[in-house]
Amino acid sequence: MEKLLEVKDLQVSFQTYGGEVQAVRGVSFHLNKGETLAIVGESGSGKSVTSQTIMRLIPTPPGKIKSGQIIFNGEDLAKKTDKEMEAIRGKDIGMIFQDPMTSLNPTMKVGHQIMEVLVKHLKMDKAAAKERAIELLRLVGIPFPEKRVNQYPHEFSGGMRQRAMIAVALASNPKLLIADEPTTALDVTIQAQILELMKDLQKKMGTSIIFITHDLGVVANVADRVAVMYAGKIVEMGTVDEIFYDPRHPYTWGLLASMPSLDSDDKSELAAIPGTPPDLTNPPKGDAFAPRNPYAMKIDFELEPPMFKISDTHYAATWLLHPDAPKVEPPEAVKKRLRQLSSNYPQPVIVKESE
Amino acid sequence: MAEKQKLIEIKNLKQYFPVGHGQVIKAVDGVTFDIYKGETLGLVGESGCGKSTTGRTIIGLYQATSGEVLFNGVSVHAKKTSQELKQLKRKMQMIFQDPYASLNPRMTVADIIAEGIDIHGLAKTKEERMKRVYELLETVGLNREHANRYPHEFSGGQRQRIGIARALAVEPEFIIADEPISALDVSIQAQVVNLMKKLQREKGLTYLFIAHDLSMVKYISDRIGVMYFGKMVELAEAEELYRNPIHPYTKALLSAIPLPDPETERVRRRTVYDPSQHNYKEGEPLEFREITPGHFVLCSEDEYKKYKAMYS
Amino acid sequence: MQQLPKEMFQPASVDLSEAEKISKPSLSFWKDVSIRFRKNKLAMFGLVLLILLVFMAIFGPHMTKYDYSTNDLMNTNKPPSAEHWFGTDDLGRDIFTRTWYGARISLFIGLAAALIDLFIGVLWGGIAGFRGGRTDDVMMRIADILWAVPYLLLVILLMVVLGQGLGTMILAMTITGWINMARIVRGQVLQLKSQEYVLAAQTLGANTSRIMFKHLIPNAMGPILVTLTLSIPSAIFTEAFLSYLGLGVPQPLASWGTMASEGVQALQYYPWRLFFPATFICLTIFAFNVVGDGLRDALDPRLRK
Repeated sequence: MEKLLEVKDLQVSFQTYGGEVQAVRGVSFHLNKGETLAIVGESGSGKSVTSQTIMRLIPTPPGKIKSGQIIFNGEDLAKKTDKEMEAIRGKDIGMIFQDPMTSLNPTMKVGHQIMEVLVKHLKMDKAAAKERAIELLRLVGIPFPEKRVNQYPHEFSGGMRQRAMIAVALASNPKLLIADEPTTALDVTIQAQILELMKDLQKKMGTSIIFITHDLGVVANVADRVAVMYAGKIVEMGTVDEIFYDPRHPYTWGLLASMPSLDSDDKSELAAIPGTPPDLTNPPKGDAFAPRNPYAMKIDFELEPPMFKISDTHYAATWLLHPDAPKVEPPEAVKKRLRQLSSNYPQPVIVKESE
Repeated sequence: MAEKQKLIEIKNLKQYFPVGHGQVIKAVDGVTFDIYKGETLGLVGESGCGKSTTGRTIIGLYQATSGEVLFNGVSVHAKKTSQELKQLKRKMQMIFQDPYASLNPRMTVADIIAEGIDIHGLAKTKEERMKRVYELLETVGLNREHANRYPHEFSGGQRQRIGIARALAVEPEFIIADEPISALDVSIQAQVVNLMKKLQREKGLTYLFIAHDLSMVKYISDRIGVMYFGKMVELAEAEELYRNPIHPYTKALLSAIPLPDPETERVRRRTVYDPSQHNYKEGEPLEFREITPGHFVLCSEDEYKKYKAMYS
Repeated sequence: MQQLPKEMFQPASVDLSEAEKISKPSLSFWKDVSIRFRKNKLAMFGLVLLILLVFMAIFGPHMTKYDYSTNDLMNTNKPPSAEHWFGTDDLGRDIFTRTWYGARISLFIGLAAALIDLFIGVLWGGIAGFRGGRTDDVMMRIADILWAVPYLLLVILLMVVLGQGLGTMILAMTITGWINMARIVRGQVLQLKSQEYVLAAQTLGANTSRIMFKHLIPNAMGPILVTLTLSIPSAIFTEAFLSYLGLGVPQPLASWGTMASEGVQALQYYPWRLFFPATFICLTIFAFNVVGDGLRDALDPRLRK
């Protein structure tokens, strides 16, 4: 498979008057052509900062890329100037945000906002751009696109606005689409429509998608691969089946166990993850999850766990995978999900730094 | 539940808001239901369906356009002396959605929690007041060191627990929880829900739990009501509602919830609700009718017969 | 890879109560604001300037052997010298003494006008915003009408009826001055009253005055404070302006405005008579403005972490 995007050891910090917040602390992942990678995590886990850094949308200062590479199409985006990024943003990489109300310009007709992209990046003339804008609105499932193209965002409902936003993002046929919580502000029935639309469009246009969300249900619906982030790091990454049917990191366990199941009538107490995420102005020594981890070992408070490889595609950063670690049982709710996956290695392998 | 005692009775409650030019928004349009002592009634629906307005009208934040709310048989909205009103306010409390907007940023946690104690004069001395505050902090899993801090120093989940402690301070019987977890992270939601269940067990509280996250609602609720455009379209025991939804809107809603299971998601088929599918005749009366015991659906006479034949 | 000792893989006892600990020191909102304010160099400079001005207003008149009102017709219109630091005016009065004496009156007028504005404005705007509906309409229309009356006409009328004096001056300034404050407070209250913590207080049974003074006003304090700091210099300026038109405090009292007004007539021959009061008017207005701006930045929640 061909890699479209590769992020290597990305570190991003924000200078605040309370000190330096290390929002992203060494994140590495890649995205193949045509696939959807979901990044899940809580607020403050660094998932949004990661995606905004790829788009180079973090304000500098206070933000700063401290190290790392963002290789997109063979070029390092981290080294580009703002001017160069302008040509990439909206053309090769499109972005959809959580709140369609604030991401569309309220004083501009929806059609114009799509046409702007077409004229700027694809050098279309106005008539052709308008034609294409109507086509795009039809593509994202907006009824009467000929009429809608001349309307303002406030005349659209929430779901329709998000569709229009997707039309703007897809106008220039981007290779990569970054969707930052695109359905969080929407009702479930509208959310289901938008997710279907995105999957459908991906099939038609072959776009790669980075989908940022905190909702594991949405992840299961859209993702091919999943990266779980905690305190500025990726703690587990794998295919969607590996994450949901063979999770290895205790944080992933916690996330899965804290959700009630719809099918069962089980009213026993939910397995909540105690405590709150750490303050990233001074991240704790060792594993950042250790203070909330019921499976924590002494080493977790001393040394940061390395990445272990469980299969060709499955990675997890936890000392529990070390051969010397005691065998532990995941929570009840997780045990019900577990399956034997044939692609697993006989033993987890430590990923060397150089890899 | 062998003997179900009605704590709250809501009778044909209507809440209209004028929007100018003589037009009104019918946020709540004739809703009738009861809440039994000690149970949790879940109220679900999409934004703008009137579920939050229902909660706020019940507790008296809005003056109802028409209809009645009875608490222990006493009307909430009828004219009362300020003393009676104060007493009633103690019995009913509310937990809010936004953990950032629901705590006054200029007050310390101790003052926030003690607000009800101060208003109702529940503590005679300063020491007694602080003792209560410490107890409440411990009840919600925080500790006394937190008392002198300000809300912005806490995380979302901790703030929500402070909000719960504030409501508990006046020892209410009934708590309306208006989307108490939707602004929280997944790992924190379970903490708050577990706490609410624990408090219910220990203090015999009755909850009205308003939310749009259906899986959490099902987990916490004994019964669930589904609202759509100001009307209650279906009400049943939680398990029954999920297994045998009758109203087409409920079916559509249930089919849209994404589950954390890739395999079911791959084969998911959504049903779409179209209000015109009922084919109601002009002016055809719709009523909330009991199809199977304890399972109510808003339907016409014809539909009632059809549902009755299908489900019982 | 290095060998890790086996005992490191023993389960650690995790103290879960530890997870609720807040490591940062407790900071109240106002402490936070003061930290940010102190980092703003320009605002701090303004604050120091203000403190100096107030200090001089209190002690300045006592630093010389002259009195603000004693004429010395032998020494009229003297330029600044070791004898008279800022020179003398046409009646031979020491300008240094008069400047700092005038500072008292100017600052007093500014402060008094601003505080009265604050009092009426907060009450009026607070009630209008909180009650809303018809009450709000009536109260704000009254303010609009008052605002629409030509200001100078009002002032001259007042002067005619009540006579010139400090009290009239302050009254003239506050008669419309509070409207700005009222509008700001009303806007804030309208916005704040639908906040969930206000609703929570209502469900707990809090009465109007509790909601007003415990919840609404403390949270509107930021904009109120900024408006207050910025309305002091505007009052000082208005005082100077009215004095310039001959509507200021009567002789032999001195305010910066009356001194500047007299100085202007002799500008070509004795420029120092205008220079000193004008400079201090500018400095004061500048200082209040940068302090006000600094406060606004320090209070701006968008910069809060």
